[in-house]
Amino acid sequence: MIRKIFAQALKEWRLFRRDKLLIALAAVMPIALMSLAGLTSSLRLRNVKLLVYDYDNTPLSRTYLETYGAAITFNLVPHGPHESPEFALASGRGRAALIIPPNFERDTRRGAAPIVQLMIDATDSNAATSLGNMAAAINASFARNTGVGEPPMLPVKMETRLWYNPGLSNPVYFGTGGLGMMLIIFPALLGALATAKEYEMGTIIQAYASSLTAAQWIAGKALVYVLVGVVEFVLCFALGMFVFSYRIPSDPAVLIVATVLYLFAGVFFGMMMGNATGTQSAAIQGVQMGSFLLSLLLSGYLFAISNIPAQIRWFSSLLPATHYIQIVRNSILRDVGWGTSYRPLIALALLALAFYALNVLQMRKMQFKA
Amino acid sequence: MGAFIRRYLALATKEFQQLRRNPGLIIQLMIPPTIVLVIFGYALNPKVRNLRLGVVDESFTAESRNFIDALTENVNFDVTRVYGRPQDAENALKNLELDLFLVIPDDFARSLNRGQTASVQVVIDAVDANTAQIAQGYLKKNLEDYNTSRGLEIPGESRPRRILIRAAHAAPPPGAVDVRPAYIYNPGLVTAWHYVTGVMSIIMFINASLVASALAVKEKETGTIEQLLMTPAQTVEMLFAKVTPVFILMMVVMFVALGTGILVFDLPMRGALWMFAVAGACAALAGIGIGVMVATVSKSQQQAQLLTFFVNPPITLLSGATSPIENMPEFFQRLSYFNPLRYLVTIVRGVTLKNAPWSAMWPNLVILSAFAVVLFSISAWRFRKQ
Repeated sequence: MIRKIFAQALKEWRLFRRDKLLIALAAVMPIALMSLAGLTSSLRLRNVKLLVYDYDNTPLSRTYLETYGAAITFNLVPHGPHESPEFALASGRGRAALIIPPNFERDTRRGAAPIVQLMIDATDSNAATSLGNMAAAINASFARNTGVGEPPMLPVKMETRLWYNPGLSNPVYFGTGGLGMMLIIFPALLGALATAKEYEMGTIIQAYASSLTAAQWIAGKALVYVLVGVVEFVLCFALGMFVFSYRIPSDPAVLIVATVLYLFAGVFFGMMMGNATGTQSAAIQGVQMGSFLLSLLLSGYLFAISNIPAQIRWFSSLLPATHYIQIVRNSILRDVGWGTSYRPLIALALLALAFYALNVLQMRKMQFKA
Repeated sequence: MGAFIRRYLALATKEFQQLRRNPGLIIQLMIPPTIVLVIFGYALNPKVRNLRLGVVDESFTAESRNFIDALTENVNFDVTRVYGRPQDAENALKNLELDLFLVIPDDFARSLNRGQTASVQVVIDAVDANTAQIAQGYLKKNLEDYNTSRGLEIPGESRPRRILIRAAHAAPPPGAVDVRPAYIYNPGLVTAWHYVTGVMSIIMFINASLVASALAVKEKETGTIEQLLMTPAQTVEMLFAKVTPVFILMMVVMFVALGTGILVFDLPMRGALWMFAVAGACAALAGIGIGVMVATVSKSQQQAQLLTFFVNPPITLLSGATSPIENMPEFFQRLSYFNPLRYLVTIVRGVTLKNAPWSAMWPNLVILSAFAVVLFSISAWRFRKQ
């Protein structure tokens, strides 16, 4: 039984070895994509172009502007001659415009509470909200520092500790999620292609006619791509250590077990697509929709799962990526070991088994009875 | 010229008939704009709500309960549990039962009543940097409000309850300068609009390239390209005929996507529709150009699609459709100028949400059409070389 699985795996490996383009893509693409996605997707704002309309032009108004300029969020930009703030925002020259009214200094000194307007391009509503809050915080600190208005009251002071990611670094977050994304896309893709190819070439008939059972045939085929996935895991992890400040967890066993289960789930899913469609291009489409797009959206890679509307949130738990990304973050960033990871681990194992069973069912229908 | 048009029409008819027999492709083109757009619009929500907050109240006084109420009286925080000891809250955070917890020391009320500054501690799980930063912002805002209202409070009177809305901001001391944010183009702060416009642009561009590469390679795979090469038709005519149906389909897809956005998400259409159409057409042409180029370098459909897997993610990521370009490292920001999708996204948002002035739109339109011409010419040249 085991020998048959290995024989099938060996045959599959020889086939895989022959496609040089596929090998190159399987090795290079995860690394290239992971670094690109990890470094470019960031929801935190930096260097936002802030157009300045200073109608007061006094030392105090300039100090006020400097407070904004000192923040890493804003990048002050002068406006063009006769350029209205509406026009400048509409043409995308800036994301926000700060308008300081005339008599700003005088009103401030009198305690007449002048009002500075901040026009924000709210096309990206999330960015707009955080810009508004950021500006309010900067304004409050300006008011405190210049000591105009009433003396600051600070009855309660808050000390914040940021655990696990004290620098609030986005690459750390996306880098760990990216590992999960890479390991679901490419092994699944390879599995889908290999299976669909058998249908296209007609060699699937040989599998039907052979003494292998469907379960053995699928297991043997999957084994190769899981091994390829393990290699990809090692490559991506190495990249993570250099670029995304991964640490080796104190108990790596959890991560390793989870990775193997996850890879099986991914490859079985891909093979399922291959079985169902029977053509390579349709199988690629299936994988692109099924494992890439859904995992990207609903697995907690981009946005926290709790933000997904309740009607479709249940779907997240059917995605292997959801559970795996949680385990990766648990072990690499939080370093919490088995305790919190056993539930996602069980979910991963169940999903892998379910995909395997579906594969066997699909195949068995067509197999010749021995 | 007459012969050119005649041959072109004949070839285009052939392509249309071929396409009609391939309903799978048409479905593949029509489904994404509706389903994907709706899922994206609803599912992608970066707003942070209902953060699970644990509380360790060692003070256990009216003042501390008042303080907790002040911090948590909006939808942003759910007090999940009150813990007796900080260690319990720590363990809960480690087990992912909490997103953050607050520790109020036992001298809290005493310090407050003496007029000294009382300190409280907050521990946040910062693995998700974005959420952690937002949570910190909420806390700061609520704390400033608490501090301001406490400063104004007359001893003995109960603290006035106030409702904090999302756009509420940290209040400066009375009499000092205040900043008023005005959220233009999207005063209701509808999250979906940003993603819907972004995804719409991605679909227009990426789908055109996928379908074009699939169609162009198919002829090569089935060997019928030899037949085509033997006809009197020239390669340019062939290419034009080949892309005509894809192009028309893409234009339909584009308006289906826009319609979905308007009907499902109330997307405003403030600018000129023709600009949207022209930009979409240029993007479709550029996408088709990339698709055909990919097709000319690959030997099979499988290779072509793997290559598009390689080409498309960078184009999507560097377009500003989903995450702001300003946040990227300098190098990637420069790189994004070579990305046709970037200009399409700007135009689509300019036309739908902003009603941007013509003087701001035309440079984008010119660059986008330049991309369309260049990419399409290169693909024609590569196609001819075969």
